[in-house]
Amino acid sequence: MTGVRGPSPLDDLNRRLAAIRERRRDDASETGPDDTAKSAMGYALRIGVELVAGLVVGGGMGWLLDMWLGTSPFLLILFFFLGAAAGMLNVWRATRTMNLPDAPGD
Amino acid sequence: MATEADHGAGGHSPLAQFEIKRLVDINVGGVDASITNSTVWMLIAIAAITLFMVIGMRRGALVPGRWQSMAEMSYEFVAGMLRDNVGTAGRRYFPFIFTLFMFVLFCNLLGMIPYSFTVTSHIIVTFALAAVVFIGVTIIGFARHGAHFLKLFVPSGVPIFLLPLLIVIELISYLIRPVSLSVRLFANMLAGHTMLKVFGGFVVALGIIGGWAPLAFVVALTGLEILIAFLQAYVFAVLTCIYLNDAINLHH
Repeated sequence: MTGVRGPSPLDDLNRRLAAIRERRRDDASETGPDDTAKSAMGYALRIGVELVAGLVVGGGMGWLLDMWLGTSPFLLILFFFLGAAAGMLNVWRATRTMNLPDAPGD
Repeated sequence: MATEADHGAGGHSPLAQFEIKRLVDINVGGVDASITNSTVWMLIAIAAITLFMVIGMRRGALVPGRWQSMAEMSYEFVAGMLRDNVGTAGRRYFPFIFTLFMFVLFCNLLGMIPYSFTVTSHIIVTFALAAVVFIGVTIIGFARHGAHFLKLFVPSGVPIFLLPLLIVIELISYLIRPVSLSVRLFANMLAGHTMLKVFGGFVVALGIIGGWAPLAFVVALTGLEILIAFLQAYVFAVLTCIYLNDAINLHH
């Protein structure tokens, strides 16, 4: 609150507009998924189901193939593990971006 | 969902709230197209969204009022989500993502009104939404990249003898998507509303002396459920964006 002349409101507006335009042009690869606690809880809700769905889909596929090919229960067992692996893969994909060096802290 | 035995309890079963009731019987060529309470609440959700957007943007003032501010915020929120996750190429899919987000959000929130019906607590509804996303994204992928889209299933830099195994795993991981997308929303809604009802039952059972503890818990749970309603709509939309990104930019 001294007499020193701060940046004029128009300069400030110009700068903010430029920043917004810059952001508009950005591509997905440059800006990560958005930050904030909201997305942290979003992650938490995402990954639990991912594991279970892997087992269910893998087991279901194996069971259907078994019914079709008459190889019960070997494909069920095989696809159960493949489904588990796929579930793990999905979890890893979902959480990978959290560890990137430019990811928002904590 | 409720069995015949639950009817005798006069709707006190915590699962009675998920029961589909037929209001108007309509039969189109052997297909049961009756109007149920689920249909009614979907229509209410659509009407509420339309009212929200139309009334909010009616004035179109430069300095927005409260309603216009909320309508603009929801637009900005989805637009930002799409930009962050897909980039500029995803701009043309904005109407779909916005519709999806608002529909899920309003169905979740309307379900929080006492005596209402939660449309998203039925897996057939959420699975239908997820299937539309899954099939749509696959078609967009093939339309944009043709056979190159199949490269999504072939991880790069893998020894040739591991490739058959990894392709199967990638394929399953792709097929998991609609299941996990629908189960997540459905399970959260089902569990949350059942829990509210169970604790509500405790309040009645313990009466005026002991009922205060579960009542306080129900109040806290209601707040949590409203948060979950927002979060699940957000997660559903953000995952759709991520899947769209895979199909458009061809990398996980």
